Amino acid sequence: MIPVPHPVDDDAIRISGLSQRFGDFTAIHDLTLSVPPGAFLVLVGPSGCGKSTLLRMLAGLDAPTGGKIAFMGRTVSSGAGGVIVDPRARKAGLVFQSYALWPHMTVAGNIGWPLKVAGWDRAAREARIAEVLSLLAIAGLRDRYPAEISGGQQQRVAIARTLAPKPAILLFDEPLSNLDAKLRIEMRGELMRIHRATGATSVYVTHDQVEAMTMASHVAVMNRGRVEQFGPPLDLLRRPATTFVATFLGTPPGNLLPVRRAGDWLVHGEVRLAPAALSQGRDEVQLLYRAEQLTTTAEAGAPVLAAEFAEAAPMAGRMMVTATVGRLRLSAITADPPGIAPGDAIALTVLGAPDAVFATNGERID
Amino acid sequence: MSAGLIAPPWRRRLPATRHVLPLVLIVVAGVLVVGPLARILLVTLTPSGLGAWADVLASRLSRNLWWLPLANTLILGLGVSAGCLLLGGFTAWLVVLTDAPGRRILGLLHTLPFMIPSFAAALAWGTLFRNARLGGSAGYFEANGLAVPDWLAWGIVPVLIVLVAHYYSLAFTIIAAALSSVGADLVEAAQMTGARRPRILFGIILPVVTPALVSAASLTLAGAVANFAAPALLGLPVRMQTLSTRIFGMIEIGQVERGFVLALLLIGVSGIFLFLSDRLVSGRRAFVTVTGKGGRTRRFPLGRWRWPLLAVGLALGILTTVMPVLVLAASSLAPQAGALFSNWTTHFWLGEGGGQMAQGQAGILRNPVLIEALWNTLKLGVVVALIAMVLGLALAHTITRRKGTVLANVLSQLAFLPLLVPSIAFAAAYIALFGRPIGPLPSLYGSFALLVIAAAAHNLPYAVQAGRSVLGQIAGDLEESARLAGAGALRRMWAIVIPLAIRGLLAGAILVFVKMVRDLSLVVLLSTVATPVLSMVAYRYASEGFTQFANAITVLILVICLAASLVAQMLQARVQRWKR
Ligand SMILES: Nc1ncnc2c1ncn2[C@@H]1O[C@H](COP(=O)(O)OP(=O)(O)O)[C@@H](O)[C@H]1O
Ligand SMILES: [Mg+2]
Repeated sequence: MIPVPHPVDDDAIRISGLSQRFGDFTAIHDLTLSVPPGAFLVLVGPSGCGKSTLLRMLAGLDAPTGGKIAFMGRTVSSGAGGVIVDPRARKAGLVFQSYALWPHMTVAGNIGWPLKVAGWDRAAREARIAEVLSLLAIAGLRDRYPAEISGGQQQRVAIARTLAPKPAILLFDEPLSNLDAKLRIEMRGELMRIHRATGATSVYVTHDQVEAMTMASHVAVMNRGRVEQFGPPLDLLRRPATTFVATFLGTPPGNLLPVRRAGDWLVHGEVRLAPAALSQGRDEVQLLYRAEQLTTTAEAGAPVLAAEFAEAAPMAGRMMVTATVGRLRLSAITADPPGIAPGDAIALTVLGAPDAVFATNGERID
Repeated sequence: MSAGLIAPPWRRRLPATRHVLPLVLIVVAGVLVVGPLARILLVTLTPSGLGAWADVLASRLSRNLWWLPLANTLILGLGVSAGCLLLGGFTAWLVVLTDAPGRRILGLLHTLPFMIPSFAAALAWGTLFRNARLGGSAGYFEANGLAVPDWLAWGIVPVLIVLVAHYYSLAFTIIAAALSSVGADLVEAAQMTGARRPRILFGIILPVVTPALVSAASLTLAGAVANFAAPALLGLPVRMQTLSTRIFGMIEIGQVERGFVLALLLIGVSGIFLFLSDRLVSGRRAFVTVTGKGGRTRRFPLGRWRWPLLAVGLALGILTTVMPVLVLAASSLAPQAGALFSNWTTHFWLGEGGGQMAQGQAGILRNPVLIEALWNTLKLGVVVALIAMVLGLALAHTITRRKGTVLANVLSQLAFLPLLVPSIAFAAAYIALFGRPIGPLPSLYGSFALLVIAAAAHNLPYAVQAGRSVLGQIAGDLEESARLAGAGALRRMWAIVIPLAIRGLLAGAILVFVKMVRDLSLVVLLSTVATPVLSMVAYRYASEGFTQFANAITVLILVICLAASLVAQMLQARVQRWKR
């Protein structure tokens, strides 16, 4: 038998047991995940969950307090050994949420400076500047200063500057959050085009789950410094591992109904929703119903929740109705606007079996 | 039917009354600011005035009257400016951009020297370094057997050192504010390129704060060029003249027109530098001010340099603040210059006089001239602060309400003009205008009134600035929300405007008060035996060799300023707390 050579680690980014503490506060807990080369990893989660903290460790701006990060099998950060490969040597580029353009340099100057630092000669620099300017369709802005261009254009310059030195890994910290809705959608497409063009492994931080769903090859949903679930976007949408993921992803997000076992049934209030077997012996669980499983038209034999109408919004030719049951907010899909005022009673019919069942601690049990 | 015809009479009169205040302001600002400057120029354009121009610029005398003082003035200006950029830049870097321990203390320490008047630093220097060259008692070092060379005791070197020690904290304040507006992400974006620290400092941080560096350089330069106290105390004894000491000398010996010519030239010299620095940065596309995002700054670890650099920063702060004050205080208690910390006596403060000490003079607190000067100083400070704040508020109000109109532009130019005029030249201009009878008005020279109006005019820029920030605080919407809540005009005034404005106004008034109490270069020309003020009396004592008296009076001035600043701090702290 031929001896197997030392196994090549073919993950572009491998994070293992990573943690970051600021004094008593732990911003990142024992985090582990890895993505292959060329992946587009989106870190998504609510504000303050530690996304930027993780990204800064990937960039090499901060050292972790525990665990390690390896790029292409080479350890770049280690909490124990304190190995910190400096940002340049990681071949990583970071796009800042604030763009962080240097105000005293022109657009060309901003793009060229990193190349100058990296020791490119003048001709190569000029060629590369022209190349990335045209890649981002901003060749006309070459000699303007950052203060003289719009927010969307600044964003493009910031991306061009990061791309210029041809980083192997691209890091983005909420790059689109300062743009208006229309520009955001446009830049989303642009970023994916750039990702295909450069093939660089990308890590993209956002709190916007729509961005995560549309752009990612891999999604890590983060909450309070931990990864709640990691996988391809559709898997996460279809099989959320926790109630947090279930209610964070999807447009509109899924409905979680707390239920308790009463005889052979799981009931919400007095309404019998599903057979007791689903709870696998637990007294209380939470049931996930998709918005399209709730409607306002009556259906023979289907359970009905008495709710209070809150609002309705058109969505893809249908109406998304939001109603409250006690303190619970539920989303339902109907064909027509309900034609009633907020605060009026509305009956929500629950269609079919629950999409998932979660224990009270949020873990999926089925 | 046109609306005008049915409007009640008061409505038609309204436009007229609306114009009264601005007109009054234009006249007042014109008389206070433009009048003296125009007058001093005109006086030098009379036949004898033109003769004075010739004497100063092109005669046998011009070497001593103009060229040598100009050279000294320029050396001081450029040297002080360079020194301040170095020290202020270094300390600002240490406090804002590094992880040096004790940064807060350092930050506070380095803002203090500017609070101590430059004559205090100059007196302290003399107390330590004076040598026997000019007779009189030697300073601390020489009395203790350490020979102090002339160049270190007198002349340009000590003046340079004293002025740098005084002005670097101004540079520190400006540069530190600019550095802390450089967002961490600008620096981190540079770190991501792999640039090393010096390259980030020189390639990113310094260029971004260039406007602040230029303005720190030009303001310290203008300050040094206009300074009177330091060259007068440490340079004049060895006949080192600057333009400001020359102006003083000429006017004092009665060669008023030559003094006026020199004053105009000084205004020109300082104006050229301010103009050049303004041209250097304004309108340059690369120098738009950065608005710091989030205010986080990236601190560089100093590693093993932490403690040594902290020591350097602390030493600098202590040498420029604690030391001078300590030396002055000790010297006002010590009978022998060589033993600052022994045989302490309250003689120079409370002594009865008639004895062996201090040529039989009584202690300052028993000296009627000094008591009069003390009251005069306090009165001057309070009256000037009040007048300046009332004028400043009225000007600020009119300027903001009529923003964009010619009137507002003219008023704001007028109000800020005194900032460009060195105080001693400003005082000379006041002598030119009010030094002789104008029509039925008697000459105001030597009167308290002249001191007051000149000082109020010279403080107008600060007062208008304070007025603007006060008005900014009570900006429209606050008042409007009260109006929407149904409060009448008086009630709004009482419940909203006054409580909001009073602290800001008081803080501005205290600033003006402190500037007045420790001012020397304005009062040195305008205060006479009839109207003594503390700084002037201290200067007289110092030039006659009564060091301890001068030092004691300076300590008194420091105490007054410190007390006033503490009050201002408390007010500020309360405003802050209540804003949060
Ligand atoms: N340098 C720091 N010192 C202390 N706490 C920090 C620091 N940086 C981040 N944090 C805290 O860590 C948590 C995660 O922050 P961050 O990663 O910026 O969140 P986000 O997911 O919004 O990007 C927040 O609670 C934040 O307050
Ligand atoms: Mg963030």
